[in-house]
Amino acid sequence: MAQADAFETDFWKDANSRKVWDDIVPGEPRKTIPYTLTREAIELYCRAVGEDHPIYFDEAYARTTLYGGLIAPPSIHILLMFSCTPADDWMRSPGTVNAGQSWSYHVPARPGDVITLQARALDKFIKRERLFVVHDNVFFNQHRDVVCSGRGWTIRPQ
Amino acid sequence: MMRKGNEIMTSTFETLSAGDIINGPKFSVSRESIRLFCDASLDYNPLHLDDDYMKGNFGKTNFGGIIMHGMNNFGLISRMITDWAYPAGAVHRRLETRWVKPVRPGDTIQPSGIVKSKQATANSRWVLIDVAVRNQNDEKVATGEAMVEFPHR
Repeated sequence: MAQADAFETDFWKDANSRKVWDDIVPGEPRKTIPYTLTREAIELYCRAVGEDHPIYFDEAYARTTLYGGLIAPPSIHILLMFSCTPADDWMRSPGTVNAGQSWSYHVPARPGDVITLQARALDKFIKRERLFVVHDNVFFNQHRDVVCSGRGWTIRPQ
Repeated sequence: MMRKGNEIMTSTFETLSAGDIINGPKFSVSRESIRLFCDASLDYNPLHLDDDYMKGNFGKTNFGGIIMHGMNNFGLISRMITDWAYPAGAVHRRLETRWVKPVRPGDTIQPSGIVKSKQATANSRWVLIDVAVRNQNDEKVATGEAMVEFPHR
């Protein structure tokens, strides 16, 4: 897969450099990296979840819509979360279990957009012996428009 | 299923009412679909890749083998909402989800939604939809709530 070429897919490799629950400071920003969203990456994501609406694939059709061109599905932030963070980000810790997420959508992401992320742990707590971290995230495009903002609850590996 | 009776295709804010049903397409989960989701999302957590690792315990939980990404459910619900909203000129604005059961290779899952309420605000109009994903045994694997905007045009 083209986009995985420059991406470390072995999440064990940097495991020792990642923060564990004890080290995570709520409020402290996470390191993030800008990412150029390609049409190829959007199409691959669409294939994985069965998205087949022409607004993601057919440029001539997309120009006739109120969006005026191709867009990415709103849920593209699933990819952006990993493409905008470095290999030592704690979201990659093996055994991280996603308990739930909530996302709000503003302007759509488009092919060619340079996406940036502002992210932090917002809270951490223990419930029924499980170690939880709440993370919050805002993705922007190159015009500084908010693409989407979201919050997630993960159970951290022990 | 009886709920197909009041399934709706293209909706307007005026004609929508609480109890209207939205059904998304079925999705067959396989080792290949999970691997494809890894490549598409760049989420290579061994929960989704490594059978040996998944023989171990996670606190009190033992999954017994690889599981599908929870966010794959999220993507299926999101697809259902946008495919429903686009023809109506409506905009998918929010989705909140919780995962209630793991999904494994061999499962067939399907998202659905039920219109819960609609509301006008100062400048726009909003529809709240209870959403769920069920497996082939009609067990809920994910639940949540979506919010769709029907702007004044």
